[in-house]
Amino acid sequence: MTENQLVYLYCVTNEEPGLEEAGSLVNNLYFVYQKGLYAVAGKVRESEFGEQNLKKNLADLGWVSTKASNHEKVIEEVMRSACVIPFKFATLFNTDDSLKAMLEQYAEEFKAVLKRLENKEEWGVKIYCDIEKLKASLADDEPEILEIENEINLSSPGKAYLLKKKKAELIEDTLNKKINEYGQETFELLKELSFSARINKLLPKEVTEREDDMVLNSAFLVGKDKVGDFINMVDTLKMYYEDKGLFFDCTGPWPPFNFCSLPKPETQNG
Amino acid sequence: MDNVLTKSKDVTLLEVLDRVLEKGVVISGDMVISVADVDLIYLGLKVLLSSVETMERLRGSPFASPMQEPT
Repeated sequence: MTENQLVYLYCVTNEEPGLEEAGSLVNNLYFVYQKGLYAVAGKVRESEFGEQNLKKNLADLGWVSTKASNHEKVIEEVMRSACVIPFKFATLFNTDDSLKAMLEQYAEEFKAVLKRLENKEEWGVKIYCDIEKLKASLADDEPEILEIENEINLSSPGKAYLLKKKKAELIEDTLNKKINEYGQETFELLKELSFSARINKLLPKEVTEREDDMVLNSAFLVGKDKVGDFINMVDTLKMYYEDKGLFFDCTGPWPPFNFCSLPKPETQNG
Repeated sequence: MDNVLTKSKDVTLLEVLDRVLEKGVVISGDMVISVADVDLIYLGLKVLLSSVETMERLRGSPFASPMQEPT
């Protein structure tokens, strides 16, 4: 009995993709060609990726982890030698013909996006903040807070008590302002070195599994000739903010997942 | 100086999921499924979206929105 298969799309490119490396990651990897575009796809079992079973599998973190990593790795391999448009995880077609029809339909849009992405890389920058460390640094550095501290030392116990409360409130307020300011400054500086930049949703600790809080989740589309400058800037910012309890996590190059939205309004990019 | 730059080889699963499940081109057409259905995975990851709101509150005014790149 031959099981029904579906066509799983990884990415689209305008150069013939070398699939040797990528093909060692997943079974049945191939490409279809239409209108100057190559779609890198794989055959998957309907029992695994069909609508009902996919929903079940999506609730299985082990399954999702493996498949999502494969999705990413295949695109990364193709990306080594070609500019790619990465598709969302589990983009499925019934047949090669329906995939070709999609290429045909969106050919102009894909070509425009590929042209825009040429010679550029996506880099991700996340900032985490150790709130207690930042609070301590504010207590040492902020003139307004230092002033209250001075007053506390010169005051009667009763007045000192009230001033301490005031100081704690001031630190809380300043904390929010500073986190905003640091995040914004970082984002703006890195944006200047990039073609495009975006801020994404912050991820909660349940997901990051870190002690400190994520305070910036951003992605940048950087020209290949600017990547060195970009990393140097991240490095500089990292050193500058280290004493304030900020931790920088810079990763890349990524397939341009954040920068591949199509120009047409009826299509969407997440 | 370590950890400034994580090579894509050893990025965390988080980084990968954050991209491949949330981003990338979505096309409508003759497809079996349009997988926008990431809620299920979030359940698997025990993500409480309210925690995101907590962070935004902590961060004060949401500077994310005005600076968000139009897509």
